[in-house]
Amino acid sequence: MKKHTRLIALLMALALVLAACGDGDDATEGTVAEDGGLICEVTDVGGVDDKGFNASAWAGAQRAAADFGAEPKVLESQAETDYEVNINSFVDQECDLIVTVGFLLGDATKEGANSNPDQSFTIVDFAYGEGEIENDNVKGLVFNTDEAAFLAGYLAAGVTETGVVGTFGGINIPPVTIFMDGFVRGVEHYNGIKGTDVQVLGWDPDTQEGSFTNNFESLDDGRAFAQSLVDEGADIVMPVAGPVGLGSAALANELGTFSIVGVDVDGFEADTNNSGVYLTSVLKRIDNAVFDAADDALNGEFTGELYVGTLENEGVGIAPYHDKADLVSDELAGEVDALRDDIIGGAVSVSG
Amino acid sequence: MTATLTQHAEGVRSPAEIRRSRVLAIVYLVLAVLVLVAFGFGSEGSATFVLSRPGDAIQVGSPTIPGSGLAFVVSAVLAFLGARQWMAGFGSRTNLVLAIGLGLVAFSFLAWAADGASFSLVGLLQEAMKRAVPITFGAVSGLLCERTGIINIGIEGMLLAGAFTGAIVGSTLGAAAGMIGAALVGGLLAVLLAVLTVKYRVDQIIAGVVINIFVLGLTSFYTSQFLVENPALNNAPIMRAFGIPILSDIPLIGPVLFDQNIFVYGMYVLVGVTSFALFRTKWGLRTRAVGEKPRAADTVGIHVFRMKYLNVIMGGLVAGFGGAYFTIGSVGRFDENMTAGRGFIGLAAMIFGRWHPVGAISAALVFGLADSLQVKLGILDTPIPSEFLAMAPYLVTIVVVAGLVGRSRPPSDYTAYVKE
Repeated sequence: MKKHTRLIALLMALALVLAACGDGDDATEGTVAEDGGLICEVTDVGGVDDKGFNASAWAGAQRAAADFGAEPKVLESQAETDYEVNINSFVDQECDLIVTVGFLLGDATKEGANSNPDQSFTIVDFAYGEGEIENDNVKGLVFNTDEAAFLAGYLAAGVTETGVVGTFGGINIPPVTIFMDGFVRGVEHYNGIKGTDVQVLGWDPDTQEGSFTNNFESLDDGRAFAQSLVDEGADIVMPVAGPVGLGSAALANELGTFSIVGVDVDGFEADTNNSGVYLTSVLKRIDNAVFDAADDALNGEFTGELYVGTLENEGVGIAPYHDKADLVSDELAGEVDALRDDIIGGAVSVSG
Repeated sequence: MTATLTQHAEGVRSPAEIRRSRVLAIVYLVLAVLVLVAFGFGSEGSATFVLSRPGDAIQVGSPTIPGSGLAFVVSAVLAFLGARQWMAGFGSRTNLVLAIGLGLVAFSFLAWAADGASFSLVGLLQEAMKRAVPITFGAVSGLLCERTGIINIGIEGMLLAGAFTGAIVGSTLGAAAGMIGAALVGGLLAVLLAVLTVKYRVDQIIAGVVINIFVLGLTSFYTSQFLVENPALNNAPIMRAFGIPILSDIPLIGPVLFDQNIFVYGMYVLVGVTSFALFRTKWGLRTRAVGEKPRAADTVGIHVFRMKYLNVIMGGLVAGFGGAYFTIGSVGRFDENMTAGRGFIGLAAMIFGRWHPVGAISAALVFGLADSLQVKLGILDTPIPSEFLAMAPYLVTIVVVAGLVGRSRPPSDYTAYVKE
């Protein structure tokens, strides 16, 4: 019997060790490991393979690290309880810059920055208020994604044949809903100009309520939400839910009856399994912003100044139409380009 | 009439049964009031339910139902059911009546939510069917084990392992191989469970939890370390939906039941076969005997341990195959923890379904409906916050298991059997 107890204890220990491995201690070693510095990234629960904003930030960190012979490191958060643990683990490793990816890490980053005032941080999708960070050691990277999503909405309204387009989000938080706000307003702008009545399902910018999977993980949800929108007549769907959107793209590929508007990165290039379904993508150049921040940190020029990505500084934008270019008439493409200039010039306001 | 007969057959109700009956009656009455107040007086216009898809061969009209009128009728029916439940109860049909009652509430709720708009009922039901798949496979896996006296908490882990294996094997060797591989890996985990619980007599709950943690850790580890570097291994073919000739042309029922993918059809077959086998074959009789009274089964010459191993391994095969739904049957790629607790809901469905495959699939459909309803309601402009909607399937689980099932008697003796 005693032997059995040991066997069980061994098995359980093994299980726990493996669970722990999967749970965030899996720092991926970079290619270069000289003394050129250390760029560290903490992802949110979507993970570094989300083909979306975690991946984009990681690409920026890797690029900066490669330029300077620094070493990039990443810790994936499996749950919200990992944020603080992962940040502290990097603080101990004396990183030149800790990149925290996502709005959800806002509190954990603030705490880490205030208890380690000499450590430089940069956080994606979060802008702290005046005085919240005592030593100004956090650079917020925010993006006016509604400007780009506005263009995508206008485009979608011009392309739709059913007169219905749809969107859904991961969690009802500002960096997600700003996409949906812009998208809906873009459609409304098209309706206003053309006198059409294109409907948007899944988000109401006035009540700030809509359709949310409430997770960034379940791809099956992405499929179900897209199916549901298609059942109601939508022929263009914009999922703003990180990897969950890959499930929507898989459905689009299978049915072939609707298109996807990607978010964060160009879906055509990132999601090679289903590249043909992307009408366009609302680009959020997190990689460039992280690259610049890392570049500054490695050069010793780091400041806590807020970065705002806009259409004007090309921090946000929309991707080429690739395989779906046939659906976009030259006239519509021209209008979208003109609209971009109008938004930059201030002639058109994206905030409704 | 039938209810009275059943009652006579069962004799006088025990105080516990009467108490439960009263609690249920109060639930009906509360629901009746709720429906009347919230939906009856809360709806102004009518809801249009779309019953066919644009491509269907036979198009049926889309009925328009006034929300308040429907709510009044539903409320009256619920009040009647409540009164009946209080006075006499429904005997063995209690759960069936309850399911009908809750279905009516859901219908009335829908009419209220879609007030002044239209939505696709056929889409909602089709989605509910798909979402019931992993839950049903989990529940049937659980009951195969439990009927023979082993509690399987590790279903979640087996589903997850099946999803992972399905993605990798499916990407390299094709969908069919992926499904077989997924089933085999589920079976392998079941061997572990069986050895631990039957041979070493480990606490069944602990053994199951070990499997869950082990699989979550292992698959997450290999996803972040291995699949990220080799995306070609995480690109499995997806089983597409195909219609069964003639049957799929039936309005409403056709698209919902007979225009689905292989996993949904597999679910029908699984439920049919296990129902028959458990209650109509020698194997089934022996399985149940081993579960109920292992000593007696042993005495008459049934190989107790062999039956337990056999059934637990079959349970594992079923769960592993069901897990492949997440990858091969749905999105074609694996992501960490993508089963998101469906295995545990499967356990709840097994209990709600009273350890019977038909009961299990019915319960799974209730959860599937709650799940797809949540998706649909986000699109309709309801005043309910999306976070609350996302709780719906879990809320249904709690209400059903804790409050409404009442005393559910497990069919088996779960203590480890020691041969003398």
